[in-house]
Amino acid sequence: MSDLFQSTIVISILAATIRIATPLLLAALGELITERAGILNLGVEGGMLMSAFMGFYATYASDSLWIGLLAAMVTGALLNLIMVFMAATLKVEQVVTGLALNMLASGLSLYMYKLAFSDAKSKIPTISIFQNVEIPWLSQIPYLGEIFFTQKLLTYVAFILVPVVWFFLYRTKFGLEIRCLGENPKVIDTKGLSVTMRQYAALLLGGALIGMGGAFVTICSTVRFIPDITAGRGWLALVIVIAGNWRPMGLVIAALIFAFLDAFQLQVQGIGVQLPYQLLLALPYVVAILLMVFKRGTSEEPKRLSVPYFRGER
Amino acid sequence: MIFGRFKIEPRLEPKLSWQIVSILLAVMMSAIVCAIMLNSAGVDVGKAFYLIFEGAFGTWKAVIKTLVKATPLILTGLAVTVAFRAKIWNIGAEGQLFAGAITSYWAYTMFQGAPSFILIVMVILSASIGGALYGGLAGYLKAKFSVNEVLSTVMLNYIIRYVLSFLLISGPWRDPSSFYQQSSRIIQAAKYPMLFGISRLHMGFAIALVLALVVYLFLTRTSLGYEIRSIGFNPKASRFKGINVDRTIIIVMMISGGIAGLAGAGELFGVHYRLKPDISHGFGFLGIIIAMLAALHPFGVILAATLFGGLVNGGIRLQVFTGIPTAMISSIQAIILLFFLTAAVLTRFEIRRVKANE
Amino acid sequence: MEASIRTVNLTKKFHQVVANDAVSFDVLPGEIHCLLGENGAGKSTLAECLYGFYKPDKGQIFIDGKEVDISSPAEAIGYGIGMVHQHFVLVSSLSVLENIVVGTKSQGLLLDLRAAEKKIKSLCDYYNVELDLHAKVWQLPVGQQQWVEILKTLYVGAQILILDEPTAVLTPEESKMLFKILQLMTDDNMSVILISHKLNEVLQSDRVTILRKGKKVATVTTAESSKEELTSKMVGREINATLEKKPMKAGKHFLAIKNLKAKNDRGQEALKGFDLTVRTGEIVGIAGVAGNGQKELFETLIGVRKATEGEIYLNGVDIVNRDPKYIQKLGVAFIPEDRFAEGLVSDFTVEENLILGNHCDKKFKKNGFLNFKEILVFAKECINKFDIQTPSEKTLTRTLSGGNAQKVIVAREFAQNAQLTLANQPSRGLDVGVIEYMHQMLLKKRDEKGGILMASEDLEELFNIADTIVVMHDGQIMGSFPVAEADINTIGLLMAGHADQPGPSQQVDT
Repeated sequence: MSDLFQSTIVISILAATIRIATPLLLAALGELITERAGILNLGVEGGMLMSAFMGFYATYASDSLWIGLLAAMVTGALLNLIMVFMAATLKVEQVVTGLALNMLASGLSLYMYKLAFSDAKSKIPTISIFQNVEIPWLSQIPYLGEIFFTQKLLTYVAFILVPVVWFFLYRTKFGLEIRCLGENPKVIDTKGLSVTMRQYAALLLGGALIGMGGAFVTICSTVRFIPDITAGRGWLALVIVIAGNWRPMGLVIAALIFAFLDAFQLQVQGIGVQLPYQLLLALPYVVAILLMVFKRGTSEEPKRLSVPYFRGER
Repeated sequence: MIFGRFKIEPRLEPKLSWQIVSILLAVMMSAIVCAIMLNSAGVDVGKAFYLIFEGAFGTWKAVIKTLVKATPLILTGLAVTVAFRAKIWNIGAEGQLFAGAITSYWAYTMFQGAPSFILIVMVILSASIGGALYGGLAGYLKAKFSVNEVLSTVMLNYIIRYVLSFLLISGPWRDPSSFYQQSSRIIQAAKYPMLFGISRLHMGFAIALVLALVVYLFLTRTSLGYEIRSIGFNPKASRFKGINVDRTIIIVMMISGGIAGLAGAGELFGVHYRLKPDISHGFGFLGIIIAMLAALHPFGVILAATLFGGLVNGGIRLQVFTGIPTAMISSIQAIILLFFLTAAVLTRFEIRRVKANE
Repeated sequence: MEASIRTVNLTKKFHQVVANDAVSFDVLPGEIHCLLGENGAGKSTLAECLYGFYKPDKGQIFIDGKEVDISSPAEAIGYGIGMVHQHFVLVSSLSVLENIVVGTKSQGLLLDLRAAEKKIKSLCDYYNVELDLHAKVWQLPVGQQQWVEILKTLYVGAQILILDEPTAVLTPEESKMLFKILQLMTDDNMSVILISHKLNEVLQSDRVTILRKGKKVATVTTAESSKEELTSKMVGREINATLEKKPMKAGKHFLAIKNLKAKNDRGQEALKGFDLTVRTGEIVGIAGVAGNGQKELFETLIGVRKATEGEIYLNGVDIVNRDPKYIQKLGVAFIPEDRFAEGLVSDFTVEENLILGNHCDKKFKKNGFLNFKEILVFAKECINKFDIQTPSEKTLTRTLSGGNAQKVIVAREFAQNAQLTLANQPSRGLDVGVIEYMHQMLLKKRDEKGGILMASEDLEELFNIADTIVVMHDGQIMGSFPVAEADINTIGLLMAGHADQPGPSQQVDT
């Protein structure tokens, strides 16, 4: 009997890991494209939060999850649009801009939520969320089926996007151009191409991915919207990009590590282990710092990350 | 670019007058956005602005309240200013504030029996030491391991909140008589004395003002201040000329964290009289906005902090009378920064009249 | 014959500074045309206008007789203009192929490197150059990196090639190879515009247009001109061919380096174990193309870079791997290669930069605070003594010209009265006037018993002021010669890495 008990827990933790990794992975992939294009977007948390809210609200208003997902992606892209406008066109300090966007999203999402649902005082607004999609036949495999093939649609999309983003960056012309932007934008400029326009395209694309990540937190996970529902996932996405050394494969591993810690903590709480729960909750952040300290090998950090491009600089 | 008789070109040297113009422009644009938001919520814009002003500076009582709200903001603003001058992105003022609150409360429990003066001095000292150590940790990670300080300080922000939660819920500092997650009330001897008799303006405000002067003198007139500015502008050249950049990074983060820690003590011993999780309402992050608006000038920090303190109070009054959530004020604060960054671009360019023979 | 490219009264201004003042010149097909001028004469700006990087304020440009408006590099490329910049524009972590192919027009969205590889290989074969197309750029020697830059232009069909100071980074041998390639190009009727201030190269061109202070002075046919004529047109006056240099009165060994090894930023060995000495009253000149370890040598000497092996003795004291502050206090001054990135804090005022490194000195302090009065006095002294052209000592250093910025650095370093002065490419990018001045100052220091170790790519400069010439190649000292016994051909060969040349080598005793 205890054997069965243990394997159920393990499966549960692993399935939760895949699930929890989804928004982290999506946002990290989006930020990867952004950083490869040379822009450091610290506003990922804000982008995810605003997208989470808009996804929730659009679903509530239209009664369609797909419209909600679309709204979330557009929101993510819009926030990145502000970021790229300030970073690439106005060329202001990127660090502060990203922080400002976070604070804006935090205030604005709460404000809009309260305003939109001020009438429904007694009833908390809820939506019905995306359900698990069982992959036919594969989900019947013992153990593996439950972990890998009984997840939300967006989860499958997230993991498929990893090789897609890899292919995009390393096997397409635009991907090569993006990589040049982060390393030496003058190369693109002297070939007669617009650095700014390419950064806009990269950020809009990345923003849509961040929006997807935000959407997962609401319309794939929970029926209601809570203020600050993203709870630091956006920041973890930034750490994932660093810990993954700016490579899609590395990102997946880092995302899974964080997701596992979270999944483990959830399960452990349920069976009443004698550790202070705050320790478990703090664990991902501690591990994040450790991952950044113990990075091995040569960094693939884009050389011109967060440096605005000026033609003819002194 | 040439428009008729005028030409727009990059400016060689920034001018102070344009910086002030950009702040005013930013505030104006944000006011317009605020008006739009209020309008769409169905509120009379004029009445709303008046309520905000009333809440901020309308009566002497309001002014005092605003200064009380501004106190921690001045301190976090100064903390961020010191770090940003060295181009060290300390996003951890929030966490360092909590660290200072925690260590000062610990000192309180240690020195409870001592005379009031000693108790308060110990409280202040340990707050700055606690904040300094927590900030110094991030500085050390940056200097020794090249860890991005933005991310490390953000992570540390989260971690200290859990530490505090542990101390207040399952740990030794829980108030046994209360249902809430907080410590018991501090004794009278530990409370910060009030500055003007019965008003609520506590000693923390005086500390903040003094510190602003100290930071100003420190940055502009000492050789360490010179080194901080030097590594902010060009760490490579600084290193070449013998400045120990790594050591300076750690020192800067300790100073920054120490100042933020004082904000924590101020809220604990001057306002709430208890240690609790909501001892800060994002003061650390507001400090970042304030430091930027002040263009990293300590005296500007006092002005910007007062403005933001006023906005918060105004927002509370607005919510009471119109139901508009105070979250709108938080949005506006972020919008002011975004407009300011945009307007600051103006200071980088100038319009010149094209002479006839050019 | 119709010119392949011609400008008429081209004018370009930056703020109040006129970089190009009504310049009219033309380049014929099949010609190597040199743009000659001092630094700041306007050569690079003119080229950038032709390449669409800048838009001229006035004037016209004609290509094959048709007036064109080149408002972006894309259009310039469309007109067949290609440019090789002085500082290469490459992504070092990407391969040669990727660098050439990125951004070029081709079918579809996918990256197809195979077709490109064929085309580039045939270009390399045509010009007789060997190049591994899959190598990452950072792995290539500088000469090959330049070939990649040229390939970038050829790949998109450039017919007019602009090269900005191409041989600044090449060994004499690599320069010869470059000119062979340029000759092949002009044989195919391509036009080559060569920007240079090195007279040896200029003499290999067909025609020369001389620029001075933004204006065109003349266009001459090279075969009909001479070095002297070109120089005097370039500078505008008769040049004193020789500096007054007293005979060397060298004293004891002041700096002694033994078996020094160090790594570069990429983790490769940059200094491979060599000995070197400098005596008091001696100027030791390091000849060699930049990138052979000079930067790493100086950085190790001042304490900013770790030496992995070896000893450095300064007046008998071992300073290897000590920190920069300690070494500076022992009496070492340093004029770094990159003025604005390494030598100055651009956003500081001139005053503030003059005390950089000495800002903790007692004489600049009063009661623990900075003594602004003393600092001002010191700054005014420096500005006067070194003739630094600046509106005030409170001006931001960022706004100074290259020459004046260098003067600030020199003033600051010389004010230390250091026994040992290190200088890495001190004359790079400066006017003849400023260079003369600096040479005078260096000689004065040497006469006052200071020791100087300087690296320069300009052999002529070294022959003019150095007492001993040392050749550096690939992290090694290839040979050392008292200047009277040095032979420029031998030095050239050593610079290219050919060992076993006849000549005396240096004895090292501590």
